[in-house]
Order: sequence, then structure tokens, then C-alpha cells
Amino acid sequence: MSFELPNEIEETRKRAREFALKEFTSELIDHYDETEEYPNEIRKKVFDAGFITIENPWNMLVAMEEFCRVDPGIGLSALASVFGSEILLLYGTEEQKEKYLYPTLKGEKISAVAVTEPGAGSDVAGITSKLEKIEGGWILNGHKMFITNGTVADHYYLLARSAPPPSKEKRHHGLTLAIVERKWKGVNPVKLKGKLGMRATDTAEITFENVNVPNENIVGEEGKGFYIIMTFFNISRVYVAAQSVGTAQGILDLVFEYLSNKPASFREMEYVQFALAEMNTLVEVARNITYKAAAKVFSFNPDPALTSMAKYYAAEVANQVANMAFKIVGMEASGTKLEKLYRDAKITEIWEGTSEIEKLVIARMILKKIQEAK
Amino acid sequence: MASEEQKLLVSMIEQFAKTELENATQKIEKERISKDLRKKLAELGLFSATLPQSEGGSGIDKKSFSLILMTLAKYSASVAYFTYLQNTLVNELLYKLSNKKEVIAKIGSGELTGTLVHDLNLNFQHEIFIKGLELYGTSNFVTLPDADVHLVMARSEGSSYLVITKPTSTALRKPLGFRGISFGTSIYKEKIENEQIISKEAENILQNHFLETGDQIAAIALGISEAAIEKAIEYSKERKAFESYLYEFQPISAVLSDMKGRIEDMKKALTLAESIQDKMFLKLNSLEIARLASRVALQIYGGYGYLEDLGVERYYRDSMHLTMLASNYIKEIKILSKEIISPEAFKI
Repeated sequence: MSFELPNEIEETRKRAREFALKEFTSELIDHYDETEEYPNEIRKKVFDAGFITIENPWNMLVAMEEFCRVDPGIGLSALASVFGSEILLLYGTEEQKEKYLYPTLKGEKISAVAVTEPGAGSDVAGITSKLEKIEGGWILNGHKMFITNGTVADHYYLLARSAPPPSKEKRHHGLTLAIVERKWKGVNPVKLKGKLGMRATDTAEITFENVNVPNENIVGEEGKGFYIIMTFFNISRVYVAAQSVGTAQGILDLVFEYLSNKPASFREMEYVQFALAEMNTLVEVARNITYKAAAKVFSFNPDPALTSMAKYYAAEVANQVANMAFKIVGMEASGTKLEKLYRDAKITEIWEGTSEIEKLVIARMILKKIQEAK
Repeated sequence: MASEEQKLLVSMIEQFAKTELENATQKIEKERISKDLRKKLAELGLFSATLPQSEGGSGIDKKSFSLILMTLAKYSASVAYFTYLQNTLVNELLYKLSNKKEVIAKIGSGELTGTLVHDLNLNFQHEIFIKGLELYGTSNFVTLPDADVHLVMARSEGSSYLVITKPTSTALRKPLGFRGISFGTSIYKEKIENEQIISKEAENILQNHFLETGDQIAAIALGISEAAIEKAIEYSKERKAFESYLYEFQPISAVLSDMKGRIEDMKKALTLAESIQDKMFLKLNSLEIARLASRVALQIYGGYGYLEDLGVERYYRDSMHLTMLASNYIKEIKILSKEIISPEAFKI
């Protein structure tokens, strides 16, 4: 048994670290944080450098960690330009892959996942966007919220209700996943500005008004969209865990830098040393559980409880470490990247399944095991 | 418990805050505290609130002033901190240490603004020095660097001075919190007059002043906490998930009730804290509650809380900014340890 990643992945990590340090300059980080623009130029460079490859997802995972270590907003924006691609990889037809997936993986298109709605975030089965069947296709009406890449994506992997739920217990039935192009008539994305953090990421509210969706754009089986999205969340949550680990490591880097620039007497204080030990331990554990969950997912043997543990725990660690760092650095954190990472870290407890949802998943899986053991 | 008089005063401030602040909070954060608002706060006597009436102050007792700050902070932590800065950190010190009655009156009336520049909450000393009568150096952590009056702590071979002056230049930057107040760097380089030195024991005087007024920082922290949790409770009664209101879910109602209970306990402690030790613990615990309450509130709001428009993320930034501005955990827990356990405590 080895806890080491293969050399090839470690090599990617090293390259990702060097790339981020070179390309995510302080000026650019401040610029995107201030203007809330989408870092398209950096996205292109990330593609050209070969970091976006879902054939070997470990490469993307370590790149996510290293990029977010330097700047979570830019790092995630660049890597999430292929957001949702696993959906087509697993469930798409060859035609869908030709038209949407392959151009996305070549950096020619940007994708997004449109699930959350103004009234349905954690409660995926509660979404109200509707797909109504007509001759030769579907009509889509609905409203999506907090969609990452919403105004820059070429197409969305969108979940909508195509049939009423058969019963209250089976609310997750009757949901269908469709590919919807941003430039189609009736699609209106509006960029949401003024976020606390992750301001380089593009976030949008999108309305869909009588949008024609051809039959060939339905992904997987009609009415089974919920299962497809849950499978996808099992993958995407591992990347969010890596985002959290990277953010937490970035915070640690700043604390190291602070301590190394101060007189030795400060870091010789045992109070400071204990805090440092606790922070490092938290990050190391978060990294290990993230890799373990990733190893399961990437070997097609996902463990939803473990994935949720990784996502929940790593997010908790990113936020906890940010708080602890302020206790050490204090007022001198003002005007530094530590403030930004504190703002960026909070989203990890919210998006791609809130910490509360992750805990529910974990608990249900454990209870299921208890039930099965009886 | 608050007296009837205190309750009446708080009710008046609450009324003022509802009229002047409740719907203007976003504007204050974007455009900073306006001259007009400053004038209105001054008309309430808040910038010389705790100074004796015989000296042109409002003669409000310190406990009542803490309750006023807590009330203001529920609506705008920027306004609360600005009031604390003008009254407690500038006018009270000027009153204690100088005979600058005209300056005190002008700050009290809102005609002038003041700030205090010091390094006591930093891990290391800042680099502002005084040599002979020459004041020089820079501080990168100044609240209201564009204030008209600067009380600057300057160091000189083992002693520390408090000087009344103006900066040679300033540079503003966007702070993490309290965006209704400017923040940034002040540079000083000037030949001063003897009369500008208002104390030659600045470090001791400021240290004691901070310890004595720690409950005022606690009050601002509790105002932030209360606003954040009340907003989250309100939202939990409006927002549904899985066809139920958020407050109906056990973990959500538990965390909200727990936070509310802790805030109420600290509010009671605020009215009772008399000793320096009580005030220090009160401050540290209130700041921690503010950080926790704002994180809980943001979490309850989910994605919506992450957007500026709803005003929830502001609590998250303000609570941490207040912690940075007004506290240094390591220094404070060291003082407490030595007092509570032994003078030999906290030395390794």
C-alpha cells in the first residue's frame, strides 16, 4: 500500500504550481477580484499548457489544488471551463460528444451545469423548470440561479422537470437532462456581480423562455436526469474538495511567509507553534480524504459517503484554517492575500452541495449500512 | 440589566437607526459615511457622548454608550465603529490628555474627523518615530487616514509619544470590512511643535484605555452577531427546501437557537462587566461569537448570502475586520493568563 501519487501526477502538480505562480500574478489576481471579469486569457493558457484533460482526472485534481493554492478564483475559472463534461462522457451519445464534448475538451467551447434554481438549491428534486414535449422536440421554460460560467458558456447541461413526480416520495422522478445552447432564442443569462469572493468566476441567473430543445439534445434516459446529476455530483464534489485543500494550503503558505519574515522569537512561541501544527494537520487530513475519495471515483468505484465527507471536511478545514491564520497574523493580514482567501474559502461550504447536504448524504449512507446489517 | 433610562436611550437610537441607517446601509458601504450622516450622528451628541456635559459632552455613562454602539452596529457596523473612533479613541483621549477644547468641540460637532494611529494590536511595532521634534514614519493600518486630526503614537528610544498632527500623505485601499469608513496608509514627515505632544507615556495610556473600553468593542461585535442571527432566523421562516421551511429542520433550528442564546448571554454580560478582566473576556468572546454568527447566517442564506445585495456577507467581513482592528489574541490571552494564573504564565 502506498500513499504516494504516481510520479507522472506529481510532475503535473509541479508544473501546475510553476504555471500558477508565473501566470496568476498579483496584478491579475487583484484585477479579476476588482472587476469580476472572467479570466478568459488565462483559461486559454491553461488549455495550451495541457492541464485540462479528463482522460486522466488526477491531473486536473492536482492542478485544481495547486491553482487554488495561488488563486482560487482564477484557478477554478480556468479549470471549470469544461464543467459538466463528465456527464457527456458517461451518458452522451456519440453525436452529442462530437458537437459539444470534444470541442469543449479542445478549449473551443465552454460548458456549464444548470441545476440550481431561485427556489431550489440543495433540494434538487424541487426544481420547477419545465421541459414540455412537442412534436420533434421539447419546449423549455424556467429559471436557473448561481450558474457558474453562466454568461460565458456555449452550452449548459440543464436539469428540468419533464413529467410530474409519481408520488411525494418519488419527487426525484420525472427530471430530464438536456443540452441547451446559450445563444438559442429565449435564453437570457444575466451576470451576478458583487460576490463575497471567487469574483473571477462567472456566476449568472438565467431565464429560459419558450426555448426549443431538439430531441437529440436530451442526455440519457428521459425522466432519469436526477440520477445523472447525482452521479456527476459525486465527481464534481471531489474537485471542490481539492479546491478547498488548495485554498487551505494557500493560507498556510501565507502564514509560513509571514512567520519567516518575522523575528524567530515569534515563531518560537509555543502558542504559535501549536496553531501551526493544528493547521497543518487539518490540511493534511483534508488532502488525504480528498485523494481517497478521488481514488474511488476515478476508478469507477465511487463511494458517495466518502465523497461527501471529503467535500464537507475539506471545506470546513479551508474556513477553519483561514480563521486560525488571522489569529496569528492579526491586523497585518489587512491588504494581503489572506483577506482574499478568507473571502474565497466560504463558498466551498455552499456550492456543489452545502455542508448540510453532505452531512445528510453521509448519514443516510451510514444508516443504510445499519439497515442492511440487520 | 439595562436601566429604564438606558432603555429609553437605546430606543431613541434604534428609532434613529431605523430611519437613517436601515435602508442606507448599502449606500454607506459603497460611498462611505456622508457628511450629512456625520452631522446627524453629531447632533445626537454621539461623538462626545461620554465627555462630561460641563465640557460640552453629552454626559452619557459608559454602559449606556456601549448599548448605543450595539444598537448602531445592528444596522451598520461601520457607523458604530466610526462613532467609537470619534468618541472613545479620539475625543476621550484628547479630553484626558490635552486642553484642546476647540478640537474636541469640532470633532463632537462633526465639523472635523479624528483618528488614532497606534501599533498596540500589531504583533510588532510600527515604524513611526519621533526624534527631537521630528516626526516620521508610516503606518499601513490606519482607519480613516483622511481624517482631519490624527493622534499618532510615535516611538523614541524606549518611550512612546502621542502626537496630534496630520499626515504628510495618505493612500486608501479597500478594507475587508467596515467599508463605510476609509482605510489605508498614512505617512508622516514633519517638524512638530512641543504643544503637539500630548503624552510622553502613550503606550501605557493607550493600553489602559483599550482595556477599559474593551466592552465597547464587545458591544459592536454583539450588534453584528444579533443582526446576523436575526436575519438568518427571518430567512429560515421564508425559505423552503424539501417542501419545508428551513427552521423546521433540526440542525438549522438548533444552531440558530444556540447562537441566539449565546448572544443573549453575552448581552447580559455586557451590562455587568466592570473589571478589566471581565471586559477582556467579554471582548474576546463577543468577537468569536460575531465571527461564528456571521458564518452561520451566511450558511443559512446559502448562495444568496454570498451576494452583497442581501447584506449578509457584510457581517462575515465586518466581524473579522473588527477582530483585526481591535484585538490581538496572543497579546490579550497573555495578559489574561498572567493575571489569572501566574505572572510566570505564558512565557514559553
